[in-house]
Amino acid sequence: MRVDRSVSLSPAMAWVAGLPILGCMMVMSLPALADERVLAFRLFYAVAYLFWIVPLGWLQRWLWRRGAGWWAMAGVLLPVTYVMSVANALLALYFIASEKMRAQVGPAWVFGGLDGCWLALIAFCGFQAIALHRAALALEIERVREAGQAARDAELRALRYQLQPHFLFNTLNAISALVTDDRPRDATRMIARLGDFLRTTLEDGAGHEHTVADEVALTSAYLDIEIARLGERLRVETFTAPGALEARVPYLLLQPLVENAVRHGIAPRPAPGTITIRFERDGRDLWVSVANDMEGTSTGASGVGLANVRARLEALYPDNHQIVAGPEGGRWVVRISLPWSLGQVGMEPVA
Amino acid sequence: MIRVAVIDDEPLARSGVISRLKAEADVTVVEQCADGYGLAALRNDRVDLVIVDVQMPGMSGLEGLAAIPRDERPLAVFLTAHDSFAVRAFELEAVDYLLKPIDDERFGEALERVRRKLGRDARPAAAERFAIRIGSRLAFVDVDAVTWIEADGDYAALHANGQRHLLRESLNELSRKLDPARFLRVHRSAIVRIDQVVELLPRPNRDAVLRLRDGTTLRASRTYIDALMAALHHTATV
Repeated sequence: MRVDRSVSLSPAMAWVAGLPILGCMMVMSLPALADERVLAFRLFYAVAYLFWIVPLGWLQRWLWRRGAGWWAMAGVLLPVTYVMSVANALLALYFIASEKMRAQVGPAWVFGGLDGCWLALIAFCGFQAIALHRAALALEIERVREAGQAARDAELRALRYQLQPHFLFNTLNAISALVTDDRPRDATRMIARLGDFLRTTLEDGAGHEHTVADEVALTSAYLDIEIARLGERLRVETFTAPGALEARVPYLLLQPLVENAVRHGIAPRPAPGTITIRFERDGRDLWVSVANDMEGTSTGASGVGLANVRARLEALYPDNHQIVAGPEGGRWVVRISLPWSLGQVGMEPVA
Repeated sequence: MIRVAVIDDEPLARSGVISRLKAEADVTVVEQCADGYGLAALRNDRVDLVIVDVQMPGMSGLEGLAAIPRDERPLAVFLTAHDSFAVRAFELEAVDYLLKPIDDERFGEALERVRRKLGRDARPAAAERFAIRIGSRLAFVDVDAVTWIEADGDYAALHANGQRHLLRESLNELSRKLDPARFLRVHRSAIVRIDQVVELLPRPNRDAVLRLRDGTTLRASRTYIDALMAALHHTATV
C-alpha cells in the first residue's frame, strides 16, 4: 500500500509520544536514589532528553514529509542523535560531575555514547516512526472506505434516476394523445396531476431512503396519473400498520412495482382491477407488499422493474432483505422485507 | 353575477382562466390586467373576485392586493406555480390558493368557496343516507356508516361497513351534500369522515399522509391541509 506522507503528527503529540521512554529512564534511575550526585546526573539526562526530542522530532517529521526512505532516515537520525548524546555527556561532565568523576571518565565514556541518552533518542525516533506510519495507514483506510461509499452512492443514484424519465415521456405522450383525441378535460386533468407528481418528487430530498409516509405520498401522486389514464378500471388501496408511516424505505421503492402492476396486471384486463399496497411490521422487519388482480396468466411486477428493485435492495441492505414475487390466490403478489428503522430526518445526502 | 378580474402577466394563462370561467353561468369577467399595478387600482364596488398570479413583472400579485385598502378589497384567489407564497396569501385573507397547472376540479372548488363567501351558496340540506343501485336492486347506506369516499372515474365510491359502494354521482356533487363539520375533502379524489382519522403525518412540502381506523392510508394535498388540521384540532379538543 502506498504510504501517504502528507499526514503527520503535531509537535505536541510527538513530544507526548516520547514520554514512555522518560518513564523507562526514571525506572532505570531508581537504584541510584541513594547517591545524590548520580541522581542529579540522571535527572539532567531526563531533562536533556525532553529538550532534544523537540528538534529531533521536528527533523524526523521533516524527513518524513520529504519522502525520505527508512535507510536515509536512519543515515541522518543516527549521527544526529549521536551528536546530541555526546553534547549531553560533555555538558553533564562540565556542569554536574565532581572532580573525581571527571578524572575517572575518559574520551571512551564521552564518545562511547551508550551511557548517555543516545539509546533513548533512537527509541524516540522509533516511536515516532510507528506513530507516523499508523496515522498514514488510518488515512488510507478512511480513503478506501470513502471510495467504497462513493461507488455505492453512484450505483444507487444510477438505479434511482432510471425510474423517472420514461414515465415522464409516457405521460406526455398520453397527454398529447388526449389533445389529438379532442378530450381537453382529460388532458388538463392529466397535466394537473403530472404537475402535482413533479412537485412531489422535485421537492423531495436527494436521499436513498425516506419515510413510508413520503413513499405513500409519492406513489399516490404517481397512481393519480395512472388513474386519470385508466379511469375506473384501476383501483388502488393502501394500508399501513400503526406506526409504520414513520419507518424508513428506499426512495421510490414502490414505483417500479406499481408501474408493473398497472402495465402487466391491470391494463390487459377488461374488468376493473385493484392494486393493494401494504406496509406491515414483523418484529425487526418491515414487510412491503404490492398485490394486483391479474388476467389469466399475466403477471405483475417482473422484468426490468423487479431487477431494478432487487439491485437497489442488494446495494442498500446487502444481507438483510428478502424479495419474493409470484401468484397467490389469483393475484400477483410481490413481498419485500427490509430492516425496520424509524426516522423522519437523517436522510443520507448523496455526495 | 360574480364579477371577476383576471390578473396574470402571461396572456395564455389569462385565457386559460377565462375559458374555464365561461363554463360558469353565474360568473362574468369584467377586467384583465398583466401586473400588480392594475390589480391595485381595483375596488370591490366594481369587482367581486380577483384571480391573481403571484409573480409578475413590476408589482407582484401579493403587493397589488396589499395596496388596496382592506375594506375595499375584492375576494382573492391566488393561482401560481409556486407554493411558497401561500402563508402570505392567507395573511391577506385570500379565499384560496391554487397551483399551476390548473386542476379543473380544484378550480371549481375555489369558485364554490367564493360563492359561499358572497352568500350565493346553494348548498342543499345534508343527506342522511345514500341510495345505491346494485343491478336493479336499490340499497341504502347510512351516512353514519360511511368512513371515507373516493372518486372512481365520474362516480364516487362509498366505503361503509368494510364494503365499497358505487354511487352515480361525482365527488364534487357529493361533497355538497355532506355535513362539512363531519366530512372533509383531503384530496381531489378523497373525502374522509373526520373521526376516522387516527394518524396524520405532515411532510416537508406541506402535504400530508393520513391513516384511518381500518389502516387505509391516504394522501392529503397541501391545499386541503389547513382546513383538515383545523377540523382535527377542533374534534380533538371537544
